[in-house]
Amino acid sequence: MSIFQGINTTGSALTAQRLRMDVISSNMANADSTRGKLVDGEWEPYKRKSVVLQAQEESTFASHLNAAKNVGNGVKVSKIVEDETPFELVYDPDNADANEDGYVQMPNVDPLREMVDLMSASRSYEANITVLNASKSMLMKTLEIGK
Amino acid sequence: MASINFPAVSQVLPTTNTNATAASTAASGQKSFAAFLKDSLNEVNKAQNESDNLTTKLAKGEDVDLSQVMIASQKANITMQATIEIRNKAVEAYQEMMRMTV
Repeated sequence: MSIFQGINTTGSALTAQRLRMDVISSNMANADSTRGKLVDGEWEPYKRKSVVLQAQEESTFASHLNAAKNVGNGVKVSKIVEDETPFELVYDPDNADANEDGYVQMPNVDPLREMVDLMSASRSYEANITVLNASKSMLMKTLEIGK
Repeated sequence: MASINFPAVSQVLPTTNTNATAASTAASGQKSFAAFLKDSLNEVNKAQNESDNLTTKLAKGEDVDLSQVMIASQKANITMQATIEIRNKAVEAYQEMMRMTV
């Protein structure tokens, strides 16, 4: 275990939260995109994306043997999944993507929910930076031993 | 930087006893103090280089994570401070020797 274990762990969390923020940006930007993906010649609206976070564990024989004193190696984004909740139907006959009854399928993105997610990601990022600074100041204090 | 934990100097350098057998057991059993110092310096250099690399990449507009750049520079900073502390200790020891009355 290196002296930078804590800093490395925090670094992985910062990267993960950054990616989460990117995904939220994409959701927000596409909140009104009626053309997300082309499926069988038909445009399908944008589907809300979200990240799946996973604890980063090294899976070696030695690591399993030492599981009891394993402090962990941080976090990673294991995959980005699409939200499969049904699309909202909005009456808008002038829209190019309206069906024969005049309804348009809108993305299943809820801006309110995205804002809450955004807050969560941003606060989580700040919290991890606080951990990193604490970790650094601890190391710097260690260097003051014997002064 | 796992190699920063120096064993006590007395362990590494069998001081008063300078005959060949003692020196060879010290060399075979543990790394010499010089080797430790060299390894540590190499580690510090590596951290500095990594930080430099990432900063250059960022300046060039390549795809690097800003947080990773900052973390690399902080690591470089900490290892550098550690080196400076060790240097200070070594110089202090030397000056202590020089102050010895003969």
